[in-house]
Amino acid sequence: MSVTKECAIVGGGLAGLVGYATLRHRGLTPAEIAVFGTDPDPAGQWRVRAAAIRQRRMRSESDGHCAPRSFPGLAVRAALRRKTPVPVVESWLDRYRPTVDEFLEHVEKIRAESGWDESFRRRRVARISAVDGGFELEGLGRFRHVLVATGHPGLAVPRELQRDPRAIHAYEPHDYAENVEIVGAGMAAATEWLNALAAGANVVSVRRREPERRPLNLPRQLFTRRGLATFHRTDVAERQAMLRRWSAPSYPAGRAWDEPVERARRAGRFRVAAELNGSDQVICATGFERGYAQDPLLARLVAEHGLATAGNWIVLEPDSTIGALTDGERTLALAGVAGQWAFPAADTLMGAKYAARGFTRRVEACRSR
Amino acid sequence: MSFTLRGRIESRLAAALAPLLAALGLALAITEWWPLALAGTMIAVGLVFEVVLDRRIDYQPGWASLPLAALELAAIMGVVYALDISAPLTVALAFFAGSWLLGLVLMHGVFPYMRLSYGEDGGELGRAGAVVAVLVLVSLALFAGVALAMQPPTVHLAAGIHEGPLILDRAQNLVGEPGAVVRGGIVVTADNVTIRNVTVIGGENGIEVDDAHNVTLDRVRISGAKLDGIHVRRSSVAIRNCLIHSPAGDYAQGIDISFGFDLAPSIVEDCTVVGGREGIVTHFANAHVEDNRVSGTTLRGLTLTEMSMAMVEGNEVTDALGVGIFCGDYSECEIDDNSVRGIRPDQASGDTTRMGVGILAHYGAKAVLGENEVSDSPGGTRAVLGAEISRPD
Repeated sequence: MSVTKECAIVGGGLAGLVGYATLRHRGLTPAEIAVFGTDPDPAGQWRVRAAAIRQRRMRSESDGHCAPRSFPGLAVRAALRRKTPVPVVESWLDRYRPTVDEFLEHVEKIRAESGWDESFRRRRVARISAVDGGFELEGLGRFRHVLVATGHPGLAVPRELQRDPRAIHAYEPHDYAENVEIVGAGMAAATEWLNALAAGANVVSVRRREPERRPLNLPRQLFTRRGLATFHRTDVAERQAMLRRWSAPSYPAGRAWDEPVERARRAGRFRVAAELNGSDQVICATGFERGYAQDPLLARLVAEHGLATAGNWIVLEPDSTIGALTDGERTLALAGVAGQWAFPAADTLMGAKYAARGFTRRVEACRSR
Repeated sequence: MSFTLRGRIESRLAAALAPLLAALGLALAITEWWPLALAGTMIAVGLVFEVVLDRRIDYQPGWASLPLAALELAAIMGVVYALDISAPLTVALAFFAGSWLLGLVLMHGVFPYMRLSYGEDGGELGRAGAVVAVLVLVSLALFAGVALAMQPPTVHLAAGIHEGPLILDRAQNLVGEPGAVVRGGIVVTADNVTIRNVTVIGGENGIEVDDAHNVTLDRVRISGAKLDGIHVRRSSVAIRNCLIHSPAGDYAQGIDISFGFDLAPSIVEDCTVVGGREGIVTHFANAHVEDNRVSGTTLRGLTLTEMSMAMVEGNEVTDALGVGIFCGDYSECEIDDNSVRGIRPDQASGDTTRMGVGILAHYGAKAVLGENEVSDSPGGTRAVLGAEISRPD
């Protein structure tokens, strides 16, 4: 069987859209790209999760968008749309946070402009096999270059709560009981404290360690070559330790987060505990399952091709490609959370762009093009 | 943004390309080096800042560019003053502001637009960035080399007495060692001459400048000249920090700048002139007379006459006979922030316009008077023979 298509993107979420838009920007036609996913809306899953935690603003800043070019970012777009320089000034002061509605509108625009729907196929990819000069996606054909952007493998719920009828994950639609325990200490947990308090609930924050306070998921230099150069020089053990350290929960500093909690604390409606104590409702703001092994597609890929791994991570080249399966004629790259070995903030939009650009460079350099 | 060092340098140099070309164009248009010297200084200071910042700042938010620009501007101004780059202040500030704004637009808009991974690469511009950086640096080196090659030679005048008159008929820098004295005067007839740290004693004129442009007299001390301490004809000069003692005589004057109306303005700044008929005088000349101290003159302290155009600011005129500041014969003078004290009536002259007048506008002249202090001068401030005195708008 000959190679039938140039590129495949496995995963129809935001990281897939970023990859698709980048390839299109660099001149590939929709006919040269196939996108496999379960929902044609690239923000479908994200939209549900954001709605579940009543998220109104993005944690990301002006650059947290899906367009291939960094400029214009969301701040400039908002300034032009609203005919005011305020968003640009806010961005200049690192105070700009786009609203969720603005972001979703932007995603729709990129989806429409890029021709995403022309390339999208509602199919789940169960297996990727390396073949001569490309990859076989089981039952779907052969592709020279494949970008795997399957996203988080699933919602993480502590084992002791998995069968507890009181428990619900923060990213699942829910209301708030009178007494709520919120497990976790990251961005979703902090958002849920405020949501539950605003709904009139008494809140217990169940956490075993204090969250870090930082504006973005990671220190800013790790989003650029400045921090990445050091990161890429680390050995396997050191890099695992770094990634584990950076996966600790965090949320931004600021009065908007602290004041409602402090008011509730003084009123006896908010407290911190190390253990659950039998409230009416337990909200698990515990994020996602971690590690490639939780993703059946990636677990199979690793097992069948003997790929190098380190702890939860598949070992990647600095440009997010899998070295053992990438050469001058074919590319296999990981975007989204699975790409953390190359880019610690791989599960952000900036991370998706990083992987997309690395992948696109490989496609452009491919000898057969 | 989190720049890498290479990103900082490439972005900085790429953003400097347009200002450098603009400076080159301006330098060619006005046939002066200062635009290129200014651009070179800005680039050099900017690069030093980038290296220093790189070690101290992992992440540079957008707003930081404002205080950093202020610091950088201060450093650039310091270097400009230290190197004595003769850039007009307003032009230099405008050039800096324009370059800074252009840099912002390029780094926050154009570069990220043109290069997908600009931010991610920490400001690096790839091969194009390296090429532009090399181009800018090579151009700067080239300009600096040419400028150095074209600089006039520096002649050091050893301590001791040198018999004059010295004739300077080629471009050069004459720099006196401490204790260097020329007896009998110096005559300058060439463009691009600088005389610095030299004492002149005697001579017909102390220093005479004839038909020469871009002449600088800095920290010269003159005494005992028969006519003028400094005598300038058909020339444009910058005279700074001078000290002139003129003997009492019918023709001795401190500084006389004449017949250069169509030339670049001459500057007399921070000089002290004691004695002589007139302290500083211009005839048909374009001059800035600023922050000087003139005393003990027997005709007038400062004279701007015969259709001169002059800015007269921050001077101190004391103990003059007759008139303190004189704007005459259809000259136009802006006279501001001067202190005129102790102007004595010249009773012997019988001239009513010389009866201790602090500031006198005479014969069709137009004098715009700002905030001047005239005291202990019985004639006050006057306009006579069709002259006008007005206040600034």
